[in-house]
Amino acid sequence: MKSTAKKTLLAVIVLLATTGFAWAQKPHLITRWENYTTASGMPDAKVFCVTVDGSRVWAGTEDGLVLIENGKVAKVFKPEDGLPHRAVMGIAVDKNTGDLWIATFGGVSHFSGGHFENFKNLTSGLLNDICYGIAVVDQYVWVTTTAGVSRYNTYTGEWTNWSEKNAPFHEPWSYGVAPAGDKIYFAIWGGGLLEYDVKGNYWKPYTDPDEEMEMVLFRNQGLVHIIVSNVAWNPDTKMVWASTYFGLSGYDGRNWHNYLTKDSGLASDFINAPKSRRNEVWACTDKGLSMLDYPTNTWVSYRPSQQKGQGEIEITWPNGKKEKLATPTALAHNYILNMDFQGEDIWVATAQGLSHGIREPQKEAQLYANARNHRSPGDLAPSHSQKGD
Amino acid sequence: MKKRFLSALLLLAVAMPVAAQQYGDPDETPKGAVIKRDENAKPEQRYANMPDEAVPYRRFTKPYYDWFVREDTLQYNGAADQRPNGDPAQLSEIAIGFMSPIENNPESIFGIPELHGAQLAIEEANARGGYKGKPYALKIHNESALWGASSTELVKMLFNENCWAMVGCVDGQNCHIALRVTLKLEVPIVDVGTTDRTVTETRIQWLLHNFPDDRQQGYTLADYVFKTLKLKHIGVLRTQTRYARIGVGEFNAEARRMGRQPILEVKFERGDKDFSHQLRMLRDAKLEGVVIWGEAAEAGLILKQMREMGMKQPVFGSSRIAYPQFLQIAGPAAEGVVLTSALDPTRQDPKWQAFREAYLQKFHEEPIDYAAYAYDGINILIAAIEKAGLNRGRIMDVLRDYQMKTYQGVTGTVYFDHTLNNISPVNFARVKDGKFEYWLAPRQAGHEGAAHTGGQ
Repeated sequence: MKSTAKKTLLAVIVLLATTGFAWAQKPHLITRWENYTTASGMPDAKVFCVTVDGSRVWAGTEDGLVLIENGKVAKVFKPEDGLPHRAVMGIAVDKNTGDLWIATFGGVSHFSGGHFENFKNLTSGLLNDICYGIAVVDQYVWVTTTAGVSRYNTYTGEWTNWSEKNAPFHEPWSYGVAPAGDKIYFAIWGGGLLEYDVKGNYWKPYTDPDEEMEMVLFRNQGLVHIIVSNVAWNPDTKMVWASTYFGLSGYDGRNWHNYLTKDSGLASDFINAPKSRRNEVWACTDKGLSMLDYPTNTWVSYRPSQQKGQGEIEITWPNGKKEKLATPTALAHNYILNMDFQGEDIWVATAQGLSHGIREPQKEAQLYANARNHRSPGDLAPSHSQKGD
Repeated sequence: MKKRFLSALLLLAVAMPVAAQQYGDPDETPKGAVIKRDENAKPEQRYANMPDEAVPYRRFTKPYYDWFVREDTLQYNGAADQRPNGDPAQLSEIAIGFMSPIENNPESIFGIPELHGAQLAIEEANARGGYKGKPYALKIHNESALWGASSTELVKMLFNENCWAMVGCVDGQNCHIALRVTLKLEVPIVDVGTTDRTVTETRIQWLLHNFPDDRQQGYTLADYVFKTLKLKHIGVLRTQTRYARIGVGEFNAEARRMGRQPILEVKFERGDKDFSHQLRMLRDAKLEGVVIWGEAAEAGLILKQMREMGMKQPVFGSSRIAYPQFLQIAGPAAEGVVLTSALDPTRQDPKWQAFREAYLQKFHEEPIDYAAYAYDGINILIAAIEKAGLNRGRIMDVLRDYQMKTYQGVTGTVYFDHTLNNISPVNFARVKDGKFEYWLAPRQAGHEGAAHTGGQ
């Protein structure tokens, strides 16, 4: 009996310690949004992608490439300036040269020294002109096209292509690319996640193990769905994250960790892109921007509130309880297509403009203090470890 | 140790009859033993009106999550409707993009009638005054056989031709490419010819599909072969194409789940004339029936050669075989063949008859299913444009309203599920006395929407 009492006491102590830890580890919040819309010089409301290069921010829109510097739209590049197409889907910066590589719906472009050098299907080895994702690793430029993956060697000018003809592509329709050290991950529409080992020159596919489009058989079954919309690599946790229109999947090299709205604080199962660093996993959904603080399983979702101009932060605590906080500014729109990090800030591509999300520690503390005053003690729970079903 | 062994034996003894009752040979399973339903319960949400036997993993577990059975399946949360409306006063025409295989493509035998059906509907709409006095104009694009070559067509339709929507598709691959592009560019697509079931299984909110797909055809054929005729040993003969690979998938899946996995699946190339090698393999497998997933020309030759080889098995097939060309080539060898058919052209209802007469008059040929679905598709789209105005987001909003609703067209009653896919029952066409006789395939009842789709 004594032993049982001791055990219970110990359990309570552990519980309190972990809840305290969870509270201390509360996720950071974006408390202010600054938006770039057609009113502030963006050439089109729809922003497909955003890439940060130090203090410069590049955005791809439905009507050109945009450079944002010092808090304003500094330059817009259109086909008349040499861009191969007005619809810009992906932007990558070559860290060695500072050059820009751009994926468009009319081929790929290399922007260097103020000039565009364009690569098209008919004039180069590029697989297809419908290009979505782009990444630069060493001297190689990787492009995901609607007909497979193309790689351009900037030293030799040689193109190498992979599709269902020479690699394990269940379908060739490629969407996203994420360099991951010695590996590169690709998001394939209808083909799952593909891992390419650069040194070994071999491919490894990850597909939906239930092989059915209409269901998720088990929660952590493996990749949640075969239609993968984009992919992100977290260099800190060494996890790869795949976004789908059917939820979010993370793989740590051993186990899969899947999230749906039914079991998490994810704003929507329809996810256009993931992004991840440190303990954070971000999901660009059609109903807002969600962030998972992975170790504590706490979710923070951002969306414009019903009240015009105001923003809403929804925190989903590890025990599933939700809490809503209001901010005086909001994301430009709830439909999120892409994002990137700039220090502690974030840049978000939305259907109605580009949003700059800013962290303000003082306001964050205020918001949390207000939330704490309204929360019952039962709202806090220990950080979870996801169970495999 | 002994105790554990005895407990395990006891457990096995208790569990076995239950397992046999639930999962045994479908022929020996008492009616209603597979899945029980509460008569008073709400209709079960069952994707694509699947027969019980086709439900994946039903014998083992309930899925963690089912997609495509909820109202929010294609909920759109973007900003397309906030784009400025087109002003008809500033336009000389209302452009509608059209893409189907028209030239240099073996599938142009479907693509050209599809174009003709669309042209007829456009002509009629313009005779009614067009849109606010401006004529509708089809911007015709070829669906290339070399897939990938058509990938930029939708991009051109939007940026070069200012199309308000796209109609067309025969090949699933090309349709998928257009679908992925439209997820970004947000142009409504009315897919009037693809049988590829996966086109509507993406949650992309920009496509409505009215042609009966592989799921509906596969379930219908599997039900007939295995449940009605109670055949057990089946072989499959199909073309080496994506159409047939994806097409036969659902038939095979239901067969496998019923314990009737086809014994043999052999392939041939489009345009082949000699099938003796494949037929010898099928003959030696001692089959009770053969399913052909392909097109009329090859299927006609296959039937002829089968019967010449003395193979008397019943033959079944997909809807692309159910054309007069098959009867002409196969001749008497076609007798008794049962095919799925996307259309019953012998219907006497006034809508079909009026369409048939107009089509005959204009194109001097009988309309086939691809023509009829294209005609309906254009009419669905034009009604949406006239309701929503020249705004792609709002046009698609109107199309999304068809979810779990019917449309009465020249093809008959079309019923759209949560994915905006037509899940109406397909027809059967049986060859009798050198002609096709048609009947509507029965469907299983008890699911959401089943009442609208001929569920019995």
